[in-house]
Amino acid sequence: MEENEHSIIRAVLSGNKEAYGALVVRHSYAIFRVAFRITGDQADAEDVVQEAFLLGYLKLESFEARAKFSTWIYRIAVNCALNLKNKRKPDAFRIAEDADITQHQVQVADTAASPERLLLSQEIDALQARAMQELTAIERTAFVLRHMEDRSTEEIAATLQIAPNAAKQAVFRAVQKLRRCLAPLRVTA
Amino acid sequence: MNHLTEEQLIEHYYAESAQSAGIERHLRECNGCAETYAELRTDLDAIEPITAPARAAGHGQLVWQSIRNFVPVHRQQQQGLWQRFSHTKGLSFATACTLLIAVAFFAGRQWENYQRPLQIQAAANDRARQPIGLVVLGDHLGRSERFLVALRHGDSTESSALVKAEAQDLLSANRLYRESAIKSGDPAFAAALDRLERVLVEIANEPPNGSHARLAELQKELNTDGLLFEVRVLRSRVQDEQREQQPAAVRTLGVLI
Repeated sequence: MEENEHSIIRAVLSGNKEAYGALVVRHSYAIFRVAFRITGDQADAEDVVQEAFLLGYLKLESFEARAKFSTWIYRIAVNCALNLKNKRKPDAFRIAEDADITQHQVQVADTAASPERLLLSQEIDALQARAMQELTAIERTAFVLRHMEDRSTEEIAATLQIAPNAAKQAVFRAVQKLRRCLAPLRVTA
Repeated sequence: MNHLTEEQLIEHYYAESAQSAGIERHLRECNGCAETYAELRTDLDAIEPITAPARAAGHGQLVWQSIRNFVPVHRQQQQGLWQRFSHTKGLSFATACTLLIAVAFFAGRQWENYQRPLQIQAAANDRARQPIGLVVLGDHLGRSERFLVALRHGDSTESSALVKAEAQDLLSANRLYRESAIKSGDPAFAAALDRLERVLVEIANEPPNGSHARLAELQKELNTDGLLFEVRVLRSRVQDEQREQQPAAVRTLGVLI
């Protein structure tokens, strides 16, 4: 597949613009998935997908033959998503650090499938989503790449073009903030 | 071993710790750290990966259609061939540097060859632009200065005859220099030569048996001291210009060699 992608890229660079469509079709969902995880918004994620493939096409001359196109376009997409998050204003609803966590306590001991359980699951998802919104753009991106995309610290640093130690610290800060925000989940019946 | 920090535990959770075996051993021995790590693992395990909404089958094609009208056609065939020849960036850089130096060297040689006739022409033009031929003019002004000095100190009819002959000789040359000064656009020089010419005309047209008193009167009328000073200034200016022109000429010759 990799060799096939390289031949597609050579064709594009030789003037066959339509060949790029095959690369877009092949990688669009993977790019959408990471964009959605970073932005948390479907429309934003679609914007990131378009922007990433557009930039990828325009920068295709700088693509090195030894690299994998999937890794290359993934990095472009992550940076597009990060830039988008940085441009966006903070969400109106944010969890204050000194908020009374007892107000958000939920019970998770009951494992039986029931309407209450479904409601509980939805509440946990909402709490997690709010906790993710509490993170800065770089913390959220680093955490998504580490925890959900299973990327190593070195890969995160390379993708975000930061030092490995800075990438590690961003993940640490994200975990600490998330644990603080998700503390109510630890209260069991 | 000290208790493990939260950072160490997080690293261990993501299997990125360089001391994984030591941390595992510590967790078996230290209940406090084991409890902390269990809490951390519970918290992080609870964070499910965000599930992206499913996309329609033709999603990729839709994305391509949305951008295809905004992208230009690449025309990089030549660059592609070039990249194939130069496999590494370092090689490309070294090749570019070598080419640049070679081009600069040959451009310099060509420029020098191109400039040589221009410099010769420029030197010729410079000489043509000189108000009057500096060397000859310098001689003329030197003679004029000596003439005016002699005129000021002249005290006999014999000397008066000599002065008159010298004035006649200088007069024709001075006319030529004055006309040249006017043509070359040097009005100050032309005016000075004009004043000198009037003195020369007066003396050249004196009757041959003119008395010493008449010469003294003429000296007074013509204010030769002022004119002498003016001629000295002109001669000094011409000498300066001669000195300035000389190094330029040497440089020009240097280029020619």
